[in-house]
Amino acid sequence: MPEHGRISSVQLFLLLYITEISTTFLIIPGVLAKEAGTDSWLVSLVPVTVYGLAVALVCVSLAGRFPNQVFTEYLPRVAGRWPGKILAAAYIFFFVHVAAVILSQGANYIHTAFLRETPLLAIELLLLSVAVYGVYLGIEVIARQNTLVFALFMFSLLLLVTFVLEHFSFKNLLPVLENGMFPVLKASALIISWRGEVFFILMLYPYLNRKQEALRTASGVVVFSGISQSAITLVATGVFGAALLPNMVFSIHELVRYISIGFLERMEVFIVVIWVAGLIVKLAIFIHAASTAAAHTLGLKNYRWFIVPATLAALVLSETIFRTSLQQHEFFTGMGRYYASIFQLLLPGLLLFTAVIRKRRDRAGAEKT
Amino acid sequence: MFRLISRITRPGKKRHNNSTRPQERCKVAPSEEKRQVAAGLEQNKKIVHEVFDRCADLVVREFLIGRVNPVRAMAVFLDPLVNRDLMSEFLAHPLMEVDRVPPAGVTLDWLKERVVTAGSILEKRRWVEAGNGIAKGLVALFVDGQSRVILLDIPEVTSRAISQPISEQTLRGSADAFNEDRRTNLALLRKRLRSTRLAVENLELGTVTKNVVSIVYLKGYADGGLVDEVKTRLRRIEIDGILNSEQVTEFIQDSPYSLFSGVGTTERPDIIAANLLEGRVGLILGNTPYALFVPATLGVFMQTPDDYSNRYWYGSFIRLLRWAGLFIALLMPGFYIAVLSFHQEMVPTVLFTTIMADREGVPFPIFVEALIMELAFEMLREAGVRLPRPFGQTISIVGAIVIGQAAVSARLVSTGMVVVVALTAVASYTVATIPLASVVRLLRFIFMFAGSGFGLFGVTAAMSLLTFHLCALRSFGVPYLSPAAPLSPDILRDTLVRVPVWMMRRRPRFLNPKDPVRQPAGHKPHPPAGRISGRRRKKGGR
Repeated sequence: MPEHGRISSVQLFLLLYITEISTTFLIIPGVLAKEAGTDSWLVSLVPVTVYGLAVALVCVSLAGRFPNQVFTEYLPRVAGRWPGKILAAAYIFFFVHVAAVILSQGANYIHTAFLRETPLLAIELLLLSVAVYGVYLGIEVIARQNTLVFALFMFSLLLLVTFVLEHFSFKNLLPVLENGMFPVLKASALIISWRGEVFFILMLYPYLNRKQEALRTASGVVVFSGISQSAITLVATGVFGAALLPNMVFSIHELVRYISIGFLERMEVFIVVIWVAGLIVKLAIFIHAASTAAAHTLGLKNYRWFIVPATLAALVLSETIFRTSLQQHEFFTGMGRYYASIFQLLLPGLLLFTAVIRKRRDRAGAEKT
Repeated sequence: MFRLISRITRPGKKRHNNSTRPQERCKVAPSEEKRQVAAGLEQNKKIVHEVFDRCADLVVREFLIGRVNPVRAMAVFLDPLVNRDLMSEFLAHPLMEVDRVPPAGVTLDWLKERVVTAGSILEKRRWVEAGNGIAKGLVALFVDGQSRVILLDIPEVTSRAISQPISEQTLRGSADAFNEDRRTNLALLRKRLRSTRLAVENLELGTVTKNVVSIVYLKGYADGGLVDEVKTRLRRIEIDGILNSEQVTEFIQDSPYSLFSGVGTTERPDIIAANLLEGRVGLILGNTPYALFVPATLGVFMQTPDDYSNRYWYGSFIRLLRWAGLFIALLMPGFYIAVLSFHQEMVPTVLFTTIMADREGVPFPIFVEALIMELAFEMLREAGVRLPRPFGQTISIVGAIVIGQAAVSARLVSTGMVVVVALTAVASYTVATIPLASVVRLLRFIFMFAGSGFGLFGVTAAMSLLTFHLCALRSFGVPYLSPAAPLSPDILRDTLVRVPVWMMRRRPRFLNPKDPVRQPAGHKPHPPAGRISGRRRKKGGR
């Protein structure tokens, strides 16, 4: 492993948090309202958190067996040489694919809502070039930058909630659990793929300063993002009501439009600007993971060779995967909701099982021979 | 082509592995280096005229020492650098009034210990050192029959008196600033740090300038590795001339291509003293009033002594104001362009109609307008530096009013733009230190470009790029955005605001100081315990 950056537990926490929240906070209320109605806020809080904790547990246990190696490095050791390489290739594809999906979603949103006359490609290139610079500089820099993004994010979220509260009414949240827990559980399947992004800890484990705190940090992320998503959903449902929400794709966009402080109106741009900053960090993380994974699978030491290919792949994919936004919607709400959990829970779970059985483990502190 | 790609993809920065070289690289032939001072005076005189040929200000003053069987001696010095009166008092008088010579004869030890009354004396054997000494302004005393030479330091005062700082004025701080004489600068520093802890190590920079740099730090406070690293980097410098501290900065900083400086500079001894107390290392050079200190983080460039000489509430307020000024100076033109070009819905309707009415008849798009105004302002600013004093004030005021007013009347720019540019300029002057202010002036244009291309998303993307760069910068190993980027509670103590002195109990963590505790607990001032009359005051209690 060429150079290990060093990330502290707090930085890891903020990194995983922003990776998840930056794309979800915009769309979650709308996505959930159709299935769960007034109980959407419960969805993020309970069932999805359980899933997230399961992912965190599995991934930290697996990563803890190989403390100095990134996931794709020990994949061949656990699963056998060729199955391992194939699985690693699948993961590389997964990272690039998800990067492409969020890139296309984000660029589409900016293009449709704000910069109508700017070509999609230009927006995507703008976002990607900043993310690529971050990946080039290394994971430590991304983590440090993320601290600033997090501060900005929290500040603006708090401002948003404060100014929107005048339109909030508790009546919109009643009745609670009208149809029992079942709709809540059904709806939870929609968003588990985002909470499961804690699985990045598999790729980030060797960079941690204090690896023994990893499980605590990961669980903390799961719980904290559950609370924040729940709070956002609560506010959105309270302001709009469960009847209106399903029709909004970007509910927070609509929420910010409600804010009117004296002469300040139509402040959506600010929220989206912060979201863009978070999106850049998320893209950087995905491309970093893809490049590192590619470097190890192909046996090269320097992951920087793969930044440009991974980015180009993401760019091309983002232009071609969804032809209409309906297709995009189908991806998220149809079978696509289980797509990510294969890579986040199923595969690491199976690998953990295999590793335990085959007694594959690196002694603490030992380097791979 | 392949080499270019592999250079881009190579991890991290390549550091040239230069071993330390001796700084006395005179570019003379090795035989020259070893040439000894001759025993005979005539021979030495010949060498002097050889080495210093075509130096009309060289003075060779010959004496006779002793009344009986006088020994010949000569003093060689460069006239402009030596104080003639003191020279005759310390050298000529004592030598020429020597009555009795000791039985052993005229020896250099006797001269050094009994006769010559100058304060600082060196004895050298090689001609190279003698020649260098004369060139530096020392007086070389050659005695017939002795194969060593005495060098005396009798300097002429050649720099201005201690005066106010040129570029770092404060309202309520001390007003003595460094000047061009290194000894004076060290004196100003030692006056403030009167402890045996203050270490001063000298190195010479530049083969022709032979500028002496004093590395100053507090033993036990500064990290030992830091001091060694500073010395290593300074010793690595091989150049003919170092004329100002900026050149030294460019040699020793971590990232040579970055816009941001990793080395702090200041004219004020109190800033250097405060930084040394925090555990940094300072560099004091001659011939420049600007001293350097390392490691420097972004917070350092936003601190001024005024923060500390006012009460902490006001000090914190003006510091926050300065941070706001930094962001305004950086982002305001870009923000204005972005909002008016892409996000007009954000502007309150009344204001929007006014601005648009204002822009009626202006042929240029907002970005071009902004560019014209900003460039014009930068030119005015630069010209203002160079104008002779009688004209300066008048021309700048009139120029600004005329240009601004005339340009608006001619419908070249709109009044809104003038307001924005003026605000930006004012904000950029609040940035405390010149290195940062210059960077902000440059970066403004990038944000303007980004804003005109992609609106606020462009500004955000550019800001992200900037913060990525800043997060990756280090200054002598310390991350540039400490205490914000590797987050540490110090950010609330001395970076964004200024807490009372009794709260600043530790030195900054990111400097890795050897002794982190500045003061023990319990220093918060409080009224005396017990009765107010003070007669029964409890001793030493809370």
